[in-house]
Amino acid sequence: MAGAIANSNLPRRIIKETQRLLTEPAEGISASPAEDNLRYFSVMILGPAQSPYEGKISLLELFLPEEYPMAAPKVRFLTKIYHPNIDKLGRICLDILKDKWSPALQIRTVLLSIQALLSAPNPEDPLDENIAKHWKTDQGGAIATAREWTQLYATSN
Amino acid sequence: MIPSDEDGDEIGDDESDYGFDDQSADIFQPSSKCSQINFVILSEAEIRQRQEQSITSVATVLSVPRIDAVILLRHFKWSVSRVNEEWFADEQGVRRSVGLLERPTSQSTPMAIEPTCGICFELRSVDRMKAPAFCNHSFCDICWTGYMHTAITDGPGCLTLRCPDPPCGAAIGDDMIMSLVSEEDRNKYMRFLLRSYVEDNRKAKWCPAPGCEFAVEFVPGSGSYDIVCKCGHYFCWNCLEEAHRPVDCETVAKWILKNSAESENMNWILANSKPCPKCKRPIEKNLGCMHITCTPPCKFEFCWLCLGPWSEHGERTGGFYACNRYEAAKQEGVYDEAERRREMAKNSLERYTHYYERWATNESSKTKAISDLQQMQTVQIEKLSDKQCQPVSQLKFVTEAWIQIVECRRVLKWTYAYGYYLPEMEQAKAQFFEYLQGEAEAGLERLHLCAEKDLQIFLEGDSPNAAFNEFRTRLAGLTSVTKTYFENLVRALENGLSDVENSRSGKGASSKASGSSKGKSGKIRILGGGGGGGAGSRNGNGGSSRGGGGGDDHWSCDNCTFVNVNGATACSVCNRVRPTAAF
Repeated sequence: MAGAIANSNLPRRIIKETQRLLTEPAEGISASPAEDNLRYFSVMILGPAQSPYEGKISLLELFLPEEYPMAAPKVRFLTKIYHPNIDKLGRICLDILKDKWSPALQIRTVLLSIQALLSAPNPEDPLDENIAKHWKTDQGGAIATAREWTQLYATSN
Repeated sequence: MIPSDEDGDEIGDDESDYGFDDQSADIFQPSSKCSQINFVILSEAEIRQRQEQSITSVATVLSVPRIDAVILLRHFKWSVSRVNEEWFADEQGVRRSVGLLERPTSQSTPMAIEPTCGICFELRSVDRMKAPAFCNHSFCDICWTGYMHTAITDGPGCLTLRCPDPPCGAAIGDDMIMSLVSEEDRNKYMRFLLRSYVEDNRKAKWCPAPGCEFAVEFVPGSGSYDIVCKCGHYFCWNCLEEAHRPVDCETVAKWILKNSAESENMNWILANSKPCPKCKRPIEKNLGCMHITCTPPCKFEFCWLCLGPWSEHGERTGGFYACNRYEAAKQEGVYDEAERRREMAKNSLERYTHYYERWATNESSKTKAISDLQQMQTVQIEKLSDKQCQPVSQLKFVTEAWIQIVECRRVLKWTYAYGYYLPEMEQAKAQFFEYLQGEAEAGLERLHLCAEKDLQIFLEGDSPNAAFNEFRTRLAGLTSVTKTYFENLVRALENGLSDVENSRSGKGASSKASGSSKGKSGKIRILGGGGGGGAGSRNGNGGSSRGGGGGDDHWSCDNCTFVNVNGATACSVCNRVRPTAAF
């Protein structure tokens, strides 16, 4: 694996980040590059404790564009998820993926932020209006729906 | 630079400049002259100069380095007064929000021999690692250049660049950016910096003329928004459209929208056509009988009046040309609504076309006059100077006449938008307005003729013409008379023709009434026509019958037909004494 990375024309930063993600993964997060495209990562995030997503794994895809790290990575949920900041295409509303991106951030920090977003949904800055409205008017009901969806769509450990 | 400009910046916000807005001084001054006080046209060099001045001033007053002054000014939109205010109110707070953190005391943090850059993860030699002035987050020069290039490519946001280490927020000074980016990025950055002075500043705007690079700094406090750029473009400070006195910005926006809107086409189709009852294509009736045959492939034959199939017409319906069904339907009221709408649309369309044509004609006359003026300035004046043995400096009156013609055309043009939006109910005002407009038009034609045709004689003759001095007096006289007339016209229209005070809109107009109407006797009101349903004018004084609704407490003037209130002893428009017969 390491040999394959070294041979490609990848910036050192990406190589190093990849190695560190594989050798010292963050808790509840795994990210591994595709074999044919080392800029494309398959990501798994374990739902944080005390959240409606607890104990189940969501799949995501992450892509490092040509300009990375000057431009933010592109991340998307592949698993259907009921969350006010994630729409039905899996797109994520998170400031560091947009205007607050900084080249000093890394894949690891991005994924940790997404994990934190699962713990603390922000219905004030919604991506999906309907889910956000549900969240604001009937939080209990919304959380129940989120839990239901998690059971339906997310994978077990 | 004029030192008072600096003052303007300091006190501009509390609008103490309004003291200059002296109505009486305004009245006898030509609009173009008094507007000279309102604004300053700035070239690129002058903008730079102003930026420099502001930077120096802030750096001196706050005793901070130049770089810090630039960061502060950019954050507070180039307002020196705001920088001072905020800084002296809460220096620490300002420092935090703009990212002017305390400079690290020294590079005491011992660096590894070969530190790793936090962005590219490469090992770099110490001399390639750079940190901004306000923090010690070092990254390698390549990553800094990439970071800055990305920001500059993204747009003017690069002017408030911060340290890439996320929670840090330290500002990055110009000096660092300039030293690390490519030539091209440096130029782009400087361009953004220059533009920010105009674009962030509430009191400055770019001239909207295409290709023009001048900016305008506006000094609030005067009534007029008219700006003359050095490129020759006349525009309105407020809405950036062409200068449009006496019409207000809202009306201009409405008028322009109307001119461009497809709605007029729809109105035309609605007014002049009916849809074929079968295929629904609009059909225009080009005179002739009521028997309409739709064009192939439809070929449906129908009656224009009732839109029923022609096959049902004939004896049974009372014969061709007398569509009983139509008459019957009309009596029942079935047709009223549709017909009335069509009729209304047609009337409003004709009305609009009337004003639009005149508006557009004056626009093209104005464009022609501008090119004539340029021709005059570049070629004709020389020629005239030659023929008449006069120094060019003595021929200014000719160009002045042409400048006046251009200005008058513009005003005249906008009076048509004014006329269009003048409420139809206010007939008295409308008549007075049309009278003033007509006079203005006649006056301008006289001037235009003199400047165009009469001048020709002096351009063509072989020897100096003895009558040239006479011509000079005449043209200069006409220029000044026309100028005064148009200025008065603009003022009268801007006051909403308050001399003709309408009983319905009295509240607004009376407060606006200028000094000129104060001297007149009592309140003279003119009733809006159309309302009273022809009740008026039967009070025996031979008043006109077209004035519309003059009631018993009003009288029509024999001379000009205006309907005045009963208490008035003289007509408000023509000042003719009221005939006593009515009492």
